[in-house]
Amino acid sequence: MSGRRSVLVWRLVILVTILAAWEWLTGVKAISRTPGLYWIDPFFISRPSAIAARFVFLASDQVRLSIWQMALSTVQSTLWGFLAGVSSGFVAGLVLGRHDRLARIFEPYIVAFNSLPRIALVPLITMVFGFGILAKVVLAWTIVFFIVFFNTFQGARSVDADLIHSARFLGAGERQIMRTVIIPSALAWTFAALTPSISFALIGVVVGEFLGGESGGGLGYLIIQSLGTLNAADMMVALVALGVIGIVMALGIKHVERRLLRWRPEYREHA
Amino acid sequence: MLGGLVTPSAGTVEIDGARVLGAAPANVGYVFQKDTVFPWRTVARNIALGLEYRGVTGGEQARRVREAIALAGLDGFEDAFPATLSGGMRQRVALMRTLVVDPQILLMDEPFGALDTHTKINLHAELLDLWGARRQTVVFVSHDLSEAITLADRVVVMTRRPGRIKMVHHVKLPRPRDVIKLRETDEYAREYSRVWHVLGEEFAERGA
Repeated sequence: MSGRRSVLVWRLVILVTILAAWEWLTGVKAISRTPGLYWIDPFFISRPSAIAARFVFLASDQVRLSIWQMALSTVQSTLWGFLAGVSSGFVAGLVLGRHDRLARIFEPYIVAFNSLPRIALVPLITMVFGFGILAKVVLAWTIVFFIVFFNTFQGARSVDADLIHSARFLGAGERQIMRTVIIPSALAWTFAALTPSISFALIGVVVGEFLGGESGGGLGYLIIQSLGTLNAADMMVALVALGVIGIVMALGIKHVERRLLRWRPEYREHA
Repeated sequence: MLGGLVTPSAGTVEIDGARVLGAAPANVGYVFQKDTVFPWRTVARNIALGLEYRGVTGGEQARRVREAIALAGLDGFEDAFPATLSGGMRQRVALMRTLVVDPQILLMDEPFGALDTHTKINLHAELLDLWGARRQTVVFVSHDLSEAITLADRVVVMTRRPGRIKMVHHVKLPRPRDVIKLRETDEYAREYSRVWHVLGEEFAERGA
């Protein structure tokens, strides 16, 4: 218990130290009275106090698109892309994982498409799906699909054959084997892909928002807009917001994972 | 071959006149050497598997699972996941999971091979009790001669590769058998040495 508390204390100490150093170093002049010459120039990385002030401003209704609306847009695109990618990747992984022939036929296409850098697709996806939220969802989907697909595929292939045999001896039909043996067994692999998937979904969405323009909004749009106005404080607000979103989503997934995989020894003590 | 996992290179396998084709004939239960308890299901839901597959649900399923758990002495572990159980308990779950659907023939492929002697002997006693109640045919593969003599009516000695039947020995020990006391009797020692002698030839011929 005390060990846990001291970890927390240390984390807090580090956070406060960094913030204090940041605030101080961007406020102290390197050469006295010469304007603009700070130890570290706040023009590039802003200052915690300035960022907080901008956050309050961006969160107010004085702006056309508040930070909340932008964050909501980013979260929505990420979650939809994630859900679409996970469900389609899971089904495709199961089907190809259990059908060798199909897997052999599709293999070159899957490998080719997966090796394509997804960022290269952003202009095309924007052209096809427009500047709205849909283009971001599609982009996130193309990334998440493959992560989940490959893991589930591997999981579906490595199902213990003796478990399948024993199910068959207990009277299981093919569908029952799918439901009671292959899916639960592959799920453990699928879950391992979820945490990276949500991070990559977020990456896809933000990249989409860089190009996607104003109508979709989103934190990526705020970042690009801040670049246009050379506003480091706004950029930092967007980055911190993205960090918080990323952490919350990853924790949410860990929580679900822990519940559904509570049969595994490594999750037992936390149940 | 009996379980349909391997097709015979010549001839056919028939159970009560019905030919075994493909895997898993109905009415045959199989307890594997390896631990095949489903790790993502609790003890009770593992035992319920066969009933679930056969469409036995609700109260009937719950009742039979409860009975099986009581019979196996697994009370209190109904909701435990297999990862929290010992090897002996897991194999007990596997055995009950097979028995709960009442197979006519029970195939057991070295089911207790991975267990320590103590657990093994307890499970022998349990198996004899269970068998005494239902009297199904049990085909039990073992590398442990004392296990074979303790449990069986007939011991079939197989040669090494290629596996042919070398000897069929009828064990003339009376039932019910007490797995502990049995081993102290002269009859047991006599049965043991008779089969051991034949087994020994097999070692001598192919060993070295």
